Parts: sequence; C-alpha cells; structure tokens
Amino acid sequence: MLLFVSNVRRLGHTLHTDGRCWIIGLAIETEKLSKIYTHDANGQPVGLIDLSLVVEEGQIFGLLGPNGSGKTTTLKLLLGLIFPTAGRGQVFGQPLGSNTYKQRIGFLPEGPYFYEHLNGVELLQFYGSLFGMGGSALSARIEELLKLVGMWDRRFIRVRDYSRGMRQRIGVAQALINDPDLLFLDELTSGLDPIGVVDMHHLLTDLRDMGKTLFVCSHLLKDMEPLCDRVIILNRGKECRTGTVDELLRVADQVRLVLSNWSDELKTRLATSAADCEVADKQLICHFQDQSQALAAATIAVEAGAVIEDLGARRRTLEEVFIEAVGGEEPCDQSSE
Amino acid sequence: MRPIFRVARATFHEAWRRRFLNGILIFAILIIGSSWAFAYLQPGAELQMVIDIGLGSIRFFGMLIAVFLGTRLVPDEIELRTIHTILAKPVSRAQFLFGKYLGGVGTLAANMLLMGAAFYVVFAIKAPQFLAEKPEDAMIVAAMYSNIAKAILLTFFEVFLILGIAVVAATLFSWVLSVIFTFVFYFVGHMSDFFQQLSDPERGASKIAQIVMGALYRILPHFEIFDIREAILMGTYTPWSVMFKTIGEGVAYLVVVLLIGYLVFNEREV
Ligand SMILES: Nc1ncnc2c1ncn2[C@@H]1O[C@H](COP(=O)(O)OP(=O)(O)OP(=O)(O)O)[C@@H](O)[C@H]1O
Ligand SMILES: [Mg+2]
Repeated sequence: MLLFVSNVRRLGHTLHTDGRCWIIGLAIETEKLSKIYTHDANGQPVGLIDLSLVVEEGQIFGLLGPNGSGKTTTLKLLLGLIFPTAGRGQVFGQPLGSNTYKQRIGFLPEGPYFYEHLNGVELLQFYGSLFGMGGSALSARIEELLKLVGMWDRRFIRVRDYSRGMRQRIGVAQALINDPDLLFLDELTSGLDPIGVVDMHHLLTDLRDMGKTLFVCSHLLKDMEPLCDRVIILNRGKECRTGTVDELLRVADQVRLVLSNWSDELKTRLATSAADCEVADKQLICHFQDQSQALAAATIAVEAGAVIEDLGARRRTLEEVFIEAVGGEEPCDQSSE
Repeated sequence: MRPIFRVARATFHEAWRRRFLNGILIFAILIIGSSWAFAYLQPGAELQMVIDIGLGSIRFFGMLIAVFLGTRLVPDEIELRTIHTILAKPVSRAQFLFGKYLGGVGTLAANMLLMGAAFYVVFAIKAPQFLAEKPEDAMIVAAMYSNIAKAILLTFFEVFLILGIAVVAATLFSWVLSVIFTFVFYFVGHMSDFFQQLSDPERGASKIAQIVMGALYRILPHFEIFDIREAILMGTYTPWSVMFKTIGEGVAYLVVVLLIGYLVFNEREV
C-alpha cells in the first residue's frame, strides 16, 4: 500500500476508491480475455485467445505482433467496442466499456476516421464537447493541441481533404483533448513522414514523463524497442512473449565476437569453445558464455590473421526475439528460452 | 444527457449534406408549389385540391425522408468507423443511439417545416380567391386554417415514429432489408382497420383469424389515425382531445420502439 501511495504522489494523482478496494496503480488488467470471431480451415480459433495482462500506471506498454495477430481486437475489447467471448478485463478498476473510465482515456484508432465535413477546429470542438468541455478553456486546449501535432496552420481544412498523415495527426490531437491519464494508440506512426515519426516518439516519452500510461499497438519493432517499458508479443491471437524489454533482449550474460577475414579452420577451432557460431554477411559471429573464453578466442583469431569487428555483450534485437517467437509453425515457439 | 445533444447536433449538421435528402425536399416543395396549377383541373374544388396535394406531399415526402435518413444514421457511423472515436469518449451506446435519433428528428422537423411553410403560402393565397367565389363557405375555410396546423402537427409525430422504426430497423437488419421493413411497416400500419375487420367474429372471422388478425391489429401502429385530411375537407374541427389521444398513442409506440433499439444496440458490436 505504501508503495502505491508513493507511486501516486510521484504521478501527482489523488487517491480514490471504488468503495471496495484501492483502484490506483493498475491502469489495465485482463484475465484470459478472449474474442473468438471464427475458426480457420485448420480449426484454429481466429481473434484473441486467453490474453492475461497487467499494465501499471506510468508505463509505455507495447502490444506487438504481425498483421492479424489480434492487436486491434484487444484495443476494441478494452474500449468496449466489441465484447469478449470469454474472460474479463478492467480499465482503472472499472468493467470494460464503462463510461467512468472513458473520462480518463484517449483513443487513436488504426487509420482513424472522422466526420468528413468538419475542419480540424470543429472536429476537436465536437470531441471536447463530449467531455463537457467548452468556452475559452476548450479553445485554448484546441490551439495547444493543433500546434502540438503540427496542424495549426492547416486548421481550417476539412477532413475530407486531409492527407493520410494529416488524419493521423488530428487523430492524435482528438485522443489528447481531455488530457487523458491513459492512451490507447493503434499504429501511432502509420502514414507519418520521418519527422512526424520522430515527433510522435518524442511525444510518447514526454507523455510518459508526465505520468501518463501509454498502451501502444505496433508491428514496428525497431521503433518500439527503445520506447516501451514492457511488451507483449502476440501471434495468431495468442500471447507469445511478455516481459520488460530488457528481459526479452538480454541473453544470459553472453559475449559476442564478430570477425572478418576468417578461415574455415579458425571457425572449427572457435566452435569448440563458443556457445554457437554463425556466418552472416561474410562475418563470423560467435557467442561465448563468459568473458575469458571470448578473450582467449579473440587472441587465437588475431593470431590466425582474422580481424575483430566487434567484441561485447550479446543483446538481441526485438526483431530477433519476435521472429524467433512467431516464425515457426506453431503460433508461439517457446523452445529457445 | 449532454452527449445526446452533442451527438444530435453533429447528426443534424451532417444530415444537410446528404444530397439525396435535399433532392427529396426540393422535389416536395416543387410539387406543393405546383398544386397551385393542378387546382385548376378541379374547378369548384380548387382549395380541396390544394389541401389534398399539399398535406399529402408533406406526409409522403416526410415519410420518405424519415426512411432514407433513419436507416442510414447508425449504419453510416459504423461503416465509416466514425463511431469508434465517439464511443471511446464518455458516450454510452444508449446516448449515442438516442442522439442519432434526436438529430434525425431535428432534421426531419426542419424539412417538414419548410414543406409546411411552402404549403401555407400556397393555401394563404388560394383561400381568399376561393372565398371570393364562394362566400358561403367562410366557416369551412376558417376551420381549415387551424385544422391544417393540426394536421401538420400530427404528421410530425407520424414521421417521427417512422424515423424511430427506421433507426431501430437499421440496427437489426442490413440497409436494404431495413428500408423494406420500414416501408412494409408503414403501409401495413395504414391497413390496421382492415386487420380489425378481419378479426371481427361478426364478420365471420374464424377462431384463428380472430387471434392472428387481432394480434396484428394490436401490434401494428395505427398510422391512419394521423391522417385528418378528410375532416379538414369536410370543415369539421378536430378536437384537441382527439389530437392528444393520437399523439399519445404515437409517442407510446415510439417509446417502445426506441426501447427495443436500445436493447439491441447495447449488445451490438461496432
Ligand atoms: N469483425 C471481424 N470478424 C471476423 N474476423 C475478424 C474481425 N475483426 C478481426 N478479425 C480477425 O481477427 C484477427 C485479428 O485481427 P486484428 O485486427 O485484431 O489484427 P491486428 O493485430 O490489429 O493486425 P494489423 O497489424 O494488420 O492491424 C485477424 O485474423 C482478423 O482477420
Ligand atoms: Mg490492427
């Protein structure tokens, strides 16, 4: 409890209860949440299957997975747009779809759609009014947001005439209109130019630093890797990997040695002490269980005339983790843990 | 309550951009205006002709607008996915549905008022001409002025009810099916007297016919009670007690229809 309270102080929230228990600390919680639309030709369920997750306040939580893995389905369930076929979930301690938590959230749908006949200002006025906002406070908020997403100069253009990236930008603005504590973002950067992408990534970390919780869906792993605190990797509706990004990327203290100008004879010699050796891009990459082994191998290699390209701690990329997890026949390949 | 009105307002503004509905409105006003010309076809009954065409058009085109607007209000939001961002805000499904309906009511009312105004202009010009020829009908014409307002008022409630049926039908069925359903409902609702006769044992109805036709008579809305054109043409006053009873029946029916819509839409995935 104490931990919660200090956490709350840090985030600048006030304590409140739902009458039974403390409802702070957890932004989202699901238990075996499922949405099975149909079954495919092999009899496998299609949709989302038994997703259990916990998102703490103040995190950037990444829901990652290939196309059709169930990311958007999860978001729609959490927002009460569709209903689970099994399992349950809560957002800020409230049942899914409740109007109470919708006061405190923002949602950017995938490829967002808005009333075509409105311009940026009218659109944000409409969304703000749904929260009971109005008057000069709303006008000021709208100006602030339009500037934030780079749409201020284009605020009188009608949505009908928007480019794909402009829709995305106004989508971000409407998601932020109520200064939400929790944001659901589906493919935040899709359709944006490179500067837009960088801006949005800065926005994400800025929002997190303000104490907000971000629940982001993406298949752009390189982008998500430095941003997310925790991730879940989904494949074909099933949870494959979950953990902090650090946990997923670290490979138990291994050291990595990269050589060029190597010979087959050297490769056979190193393979005896290395955990594994592989060839990529004409380079020989060997992994060792500890530093001294790696150092010894490096010495041998240099004496044999090879060139050290890199020597350091072994870290995988999220992409590697991802491909390893979802690459096989099964939805989730758990073999190499 | 607030979100209902916000959604209604947005719906109202959006509805005026539907070209098809604008087309119906313009066409209706043209017909009402041209009743002027048709009236010469029936010398001696020119005023009756104007009333018949005018009120008939308001009713018919109001019904058309109600069906084609009502069956699109919610499906458009779902198909164009504009509903996602709205329901993610503190707007419940019920508030959304009633907001859409209310926005439709506003649009329909504005359309009807325009048609009604066109009709009143034609009538106000025709009536004195008619009186100049037949001064003995002064009482009838005097009654017509207030009766026409009453007739239009009843038509308002009639089309609001049709709009409700259309909106709810569209949450249940595909678009084509909901259009057909609403039309069938409307036309069959006009024949509710007929069902009553079919269920009448004194007219030789069998036991089964009594039950089935009697049930139909009770379930269907009685749209014909909204039509007081005949009374107007006869020059009889329609008393307010009848007005209230008719409006009450329409509103009660509407409440049940919207309640069904609420129950359906609450379970509907978007
Ligand atoms: N309304 C629906 N009816 C039937 N199947 C659906 C429906 N919506 C989604 N699906 C199926 O559910 C699976 C998950 O879809 P979902 O949209 O959640 O994927 P996603 O992870 O968001 O993919 P993407 O990266 O392409 O956005 C897909 O196989 C999809 O075909
Ligand atoms: Mg998706």
